[in-house]
Amino acid sequence: EKELLEVAPITSLSDLDAFATPDRVLAQVNGLYSSTKNGQLYGGRYYVYNDVRGEEFLNVTSNGVTALQTWNHTNNSSSNEPTNMWNAAYLAINRANLFAEGLDKNAGVVDATLATQYKAEARFLRALIYYALVNTYAQPYTKDNGASLGVPLRLIGEVGSGNNNLKRSTVAEVYTQILADLNYAEQNLPSTYSTALLNTTRAHKNSAIAMKVRVNLTIGKWADVVTESNKIVSTSAPFKASTGVANALQASVASVFAAPYTTVESIFSFPMGDNDLPGTQNGLASYYLPLIGIGDFSLNPAGILASSAFSTTDARRVNFVRNDFASDLGRFRLTKYPTGPVHKDFVPVLRYAEVLLNLAEAKARLGGASVDASALALLNAVRGRSTAAYTAADFANGTALVNAILTERRIEFLGEGFRSIDLQRNNLPLPAKANIAAIPVTSPAYIWPIPQSEINVNKDCVPNP
Amino acid sequence: QNKITGKVTTSENGSELPGVSVSVKGSTRGTTTNANGVFTINASPSETLVFTFVGFKSTSVKVGKLGTINVQLDLDISELNEVVVVGYGTQSKKVITGAVTSVSGKQIASQPVQSFDQGLQGRVSGVNITTPNGVLNNAPVIRVRGTSSINQSSSPLIVIDGMPINSGDVSAGGYTVNNPLGDINPSDIESVEILKDASATAIYGSRAAAGVMLVTTKKGKEGKAKLTYDTWVGSTQAFRKFKMLDAQQFMDIKNEAAKNAGLANQFFPSYNADGSLVNTNWYDYVYQTGVSQSHNLSLNGGNKDTKYSFSVGYTDQDGMIKKNTFSRMTGRMNVSHKLNDFITIGSNITYANSFNQSPNTGTTGAFSTGGLGRLPLVLAPNIAPYNADGSYNINKAGNNMGLGNNLQGPGGYYNPLPDLDLSKFTSENAHLIANVFADVKLYKGLVFRTSYGMDNTQVEDISFSNPVHGEGGGSNGIATNYYTSIKQWNWQNYLTYDFGVGKNNATIVVGTEAQKFTVNRWGATRNNVSDPFFTSFQGSFVNNVAGGSNYQTQNGLLSYFGRLNYDYDKKYIASFTLRRDGYSAYATGNKWGNFPGASLGWRLSEEEFWKGSSLANTVNELKLRSSWGRVGNTGVSDFASLSLFSSGLYGSSPTWVFAQAGNPNLRWEQSTKLDLGLSYGLFNDRITGEINYYKNDISDLVLAEPQAPSRGVPNNSINTNVGSMVNKGWEFTLNALVLEKKGFSWNANFNISTNSNEVLALANNNADIIAQTGGLESSNIVRVGYPVGSIFVVETRGVNPKNGQRIFVNAAGKEVQYSHPGKWTYVADGTTAPSITGSDRKVWGTAFPTFFGGLDNTFKYKSFDLGVFLQFSGGNYIYNGTKAGLRDQRAWNNHTDILNRWQKEGDITNIPRLVFGDNISNGSSTPISENVEKGDFIRMRNISLGYTFKKGLLEKAKISSARLYAQVQNAFIITGYTGADPEISTNRNSNIAPGVDRNSTPQARTYTVGLSVSF
Repeated sequence: EKELLEVAPITSLSDLDAFATPDRVLAQVNGLYSSTKNGQLYGGRYYVYNDVRGEEFLNVTSNGVTALQTWNHTNNSSSNEPTNMWNAAYLAINRANLFAEGLDKNAGVVDATLATQYKAEARFLRALIYYALVNTYAQPYTKDNGASLGVPLRLIGEVGSGNNNLKRSTVAEVYTQILADLNYAEQNLPSTYSTALLNTTRAHKNSAIAMKVRVNLTIGKWADVVTESNKIVSTSAPFKASTGVANALQASVASVFAAPYTTVESIFSFPMGDNDLPGTQNGLASYYLPLIGIGDFSLNPAGILASSAFSTTDARRVNFVRNDFASDLGRFRLTKYPTGPVHKDFVPVLRYAEVLLNLAEAKARLGGASVDASALALLNAVRGRSTAAYTAADFANGTALVNAILTERRIEFLGEGFRSIDLQRNNLPLPAKANIAAIPVTSPAYIWPIPQSEINVNKDCVPNP
Repeated sequence: QNKITGKVTTSENGSELPGVSVSVKGSTRGTTTNANGVFTINASPSETLVFTFVGFKSTSVKVGKLGTINVQLDLDISELNEVVVVGYGTQSKKVITGAVTSVSGKQIASQPVQSFDQGLQGRVSGVNITTPNGVLNNAPVIRVRGTSSINQSSSPLIVIDGMPINSGDVSAGGYTVNNPLGDINPSDIESVEILKDASATAIYGSRAAAGVMLVTTKKGKEGKAKLTYDTWVGSTQAFRKFKMLDAQQFMDIKNEAAKNAGLANQFFPSYNADGSLVNTNWYDYVYQTGVSQSHNLSLNGGNKDTKYSFSVGYTDQDGMIKKNTFSRMTGRMNVSHKLNDFITIGSNITYANSFNQSPNTGTTGAFSTGGLGRLPLVLAPNIAPYNADGSYNINKAGNNMGLGNNLQGPGGYYNPLPDLDLSKFTSENAHLIANVFADVKLYKGLVFRTSYGMDNTQVEDISFSNPVHGEGGGSNGIATNYYTSIKQWNWQNYLTYDFGVGKNNATIVVGTEAQKFTVNRWGATRNNVSDPFFTSFQGSFVNNVAGGSNYQTQNGLLSYFGRLNYDYDKKYIASFTLRRDGYSAYATGNKWGNFPGASLGWRLSEEEFWKGSSLANTVNELKLRSSWGRVGNTGVSDFASLSLFSSGLYGSSPTWVFAQAGNPNLRWEQSTKLDLGLSYGLFNDRITGEINYYKNDISDLVLAEPQAPSRGVPNNSINTNVGSMVNKGWEFTLNALVLEKKGFSWNANFNISTNSNEVLALANNNADIIAQTGGLESSNIVRVGYPVGSIFVVETRGVNPKNGQRIFVNAAGKEVQYSHPGKWTYVADGTTAPSITGSDRKVWGTAFPTFFGGLDNTFKYKSFDLGVFLQFSGGNYIYNGTKAGLRDQRAWNNHTDILNRWQKEGDITNIPRLVFGDNISNGSSTPISENVEKGDFIRMRNISLGYTFKKGLLEKAKISSARLYAQVQNAFIITGYTGADPEISTNRNSNIAPGVDRNSTPQARTYTVGLSVSF
């Protein structure tokens, strides 16, 4: 009877055995990273969505399952894209919550220090995901100091039935949680790991700090941006982190996007491998490259390509923009993610260049009407390695400098998932492109709808208008 | 005693009957007739000879002073006299009180089908069988008395020679479908019994909720060895293809649509080398006339102690779609041997090698851009399949069809030719079904049987998508191979005790059964071929990836069962069954379930008052019966009750992640069945039949209870026993010898059944379940108060004659009209209206036929026989999603009915004004009622004409009988349905999304001629 009826699964593990050994606990940590890099989330689509909501890309394939509705702003609450990303995000959050609780329940499997480090990694990832959620399904913090409805804050692990109802926290409450998670992470993450690969693909102290820089920039806390940045940016060029991993810019931007993808400029990236791919129609290269990808989106010639700030000899244009693909009608293509047909490019999350431009922007804004010299130096550190640097004379005032930094972000981070967040934190409309009209900040389409599947079951969840 | 000789022939055509048993009543003396029907026996004048032969009425002749006794046996058309196979035994049909229908193997054997279950279509009351499309060896959808589950299987348990076997598609999920029942040679089948009510099925307990099909293969018969050869050859074509626009019509229509969209002409002619207009009928490149053949050789015979039946079979069938083939080689050996008076041992072994090949037909993905059911409907007719230099007309960069001179193309659709020419998708089985048994006679009437069986299927799935274009074009070639081993063993031990005291007769069966089922599937995907030279998995590729369908699972079943059949004087009948099943998939504490069944019967016609009345002359047999019982469904996944972690990779580091939220309280789905019926025989069984009423209450349905997605529970759901549902219906059967005169006879069998289904309760406070087709379109709903999987669409009310816009009815009941792009207005006042979305859908009607049945006629005149088998079904609605595609105003081709489009004010038509890019007005984006049609049909499923050769001629060739026949399968269909076929089921075996026709291939028509010879 026992042999017939007490059958255990062979390829899955009972939840009772998930914390049995230190190796399994570590595998669960890696499982949290892999959940966060789900193809619907940081593994690809979250970036594509943020980029194609802006003006830099044109849809080529009219394929309804590859960001078409996101590009033309026609998602509704039942659409796949908002639904799938929401599902992937909260699945990863729940796994992180369950893991942290499981560590407490199974104390002693790994030593306390390591357990705390693992918890810090879980909270770093949770912060990363809530950041993605609050910037996708809620109004920008800068609109009303975070008074708008954010997303439900799920902070405890969920297993059985029930507990469906939870109201949306405000945007400010979500950011408070994100910063709390990142502070915990900063305190408890290791300074470095043993290999360059781990230093890029597992969170360390500098990763948490760099993320805090981004979060504070997003909510317009310029002074906090400076405070956090100063922990990992030296006061003068060449800028670099003096503690933890020696994060710094690379001489050539192209080297950051080439194998092995583990230069010290990549503070945190999600890895890909032959047997760990973003999934069909999720990979960044799949979206942007013809021939070896599906090539759903080409670069908009009227977008940043048309900017005088983006010179034809700019290393970023030379290395990352091409219009000579066979049978592609001369379309401009982003080649930052070049591998295919199996898309193994790492997905960059936090680059040192971003920290520098974030800091430059904060300083420029704090500088008011005057042109802040250190902000200019930071901008030039990023710009100067790829094209001719600016001089102070190029800017009439501080506002012109801020605008140049914002433009530089469009050039530097093209296809890295920044565009719509940069527009929204500045309370700007989503610009028109091709035959798609601009989306004003007052439009319901300015942010994504809360998925209908959440509204149906979570009775306390208010839909977006 | 005198020596008596004689000859036994059939009264039907005078042919000699070999193997007839001739016995002397009241003695042990007996013999059988030889090949010429002749017998010799010793008997005294006062004795009586009894002639018995399967399929004939037995006849007794008093010897008297006769030295020669020639006997003509009459065919026994009365099913009431048959012995039928039931669970763990057999029973005389006279005293059966459960609802059981038998189909003889003859009715299936010569049909040009791949599996026997396809051959049962329309022949069994209460059993609705649907062929989902015309792709070879697609498992038919079988529903015994309606849909019996929502999430679990609604397909019956299949039992072969007492051994339950695995059924359902065994391919690894590629384009090729693979029904393991196709590994059973239909020619080997003696009979199929379908158990429908709880009394008959309760002995199969937890596996019986959807009914049980008992297949009995041909066993050896005492007598001289008989060699039989059956063969047929046939040709298969697609049936009811659509009439699509030709090149000129296409350009005219699409340019008109472009003009209406404010565009210049977008579609321009291409010319062939000889200057003629390119006018491609894509059907010609995808469909073909397939040639099929079948050969079966069997040897059957035995003596008193040893009986054997051997057969070998071969069939090779080409489908109506190019590169769609099915071939099967089978060998069967059924042997039984009586060791002594107490012990009989035996074995039934069949081995099959079957080979399925199919391109991407769309069967496994309704919206596949490479689906061959879809491509001929989408691709532009003014584009040539090949370029002038003979190369494929493709756009390499976009991996889609070349545009020719058109400025617009249909997006990601492929040129089908590279995949047809260069790719390969196959699924091949090595399938062994074997059992060995021993019967030990312990005491008079008491027999112990032990039977051990195995059902082992090894499946090799091979898929190679070429690097040139199509499925593999984007990855520079993809090869995916899987090997699957599906093993099941089953061990039964049971005692049967048959005894009688006076007029009391009883049979008791008690036993145990243990079963173990394991599946191992492994494989890998390789892509980016190193050199186009390589065309198989074994070649060289740049990338190797572990297979996404790798799979390893097992389950176990342990059971105890018992049955008591009792009758008094074959007049008052009762039967009680109890089964107790333990199943591994449930959590500790919920593993075991009890499944009782009971039935009562009363043969009114055996009562003296009946026999004495004049009514008895008309109604010679009348049996009333009723049954009640409860059975279960083991369809829950093997580890459904557990909370599980699954493993993968993060970069190159191993991971564990929480992947399934289990439910330790998960229980059996239960099905409580009530059956009331009567069987009758009129005019000395010239007319026989049954009437049944059934009600099947299904409770504890396992449903995925939706969880708020923000909880982050994997799949956002937890399986819970929450639903309930009911099926009710009537069944009528009538078998009649309509006419018999001067060598002419007409036999007719008619059956009609009704079914109504209603969902009573669902998860999460009866929240609707919306079912999807191909992961994209939702036209079915499971809602309390309606039949499961009802059609769910937005109501439309034709086309506004004023402006040619489609009129939709929104959820508020207001009429709104649509002008592409994106302009919705109220019909009443032209003001802006909110756009129509999925939430404006309403329940339109049942997708499951409310009545169905068949009429089988056999006409015989001298040596000729004519079979006419009609099948019918109706009362259901079909969501004809294909029609939405056929009228879509993107750069897709259209059905010629688009020519009736609205053109000017006042035009009355159902096709709106054409606007290029419009994918809304005709239902592509949201299902609309314009595309819902009634599914009623009458189908001439099979018509056959045969000729049986005269004795004299054959004897010279040492042939004992020979029949030549010709038949047409699917000769015609009478229906108002405008799609390819009202039987199409795009979602195949889905319980919750039936009745959808979306880009599926049509059905096939097959002509065959065959020959059957016995030596």
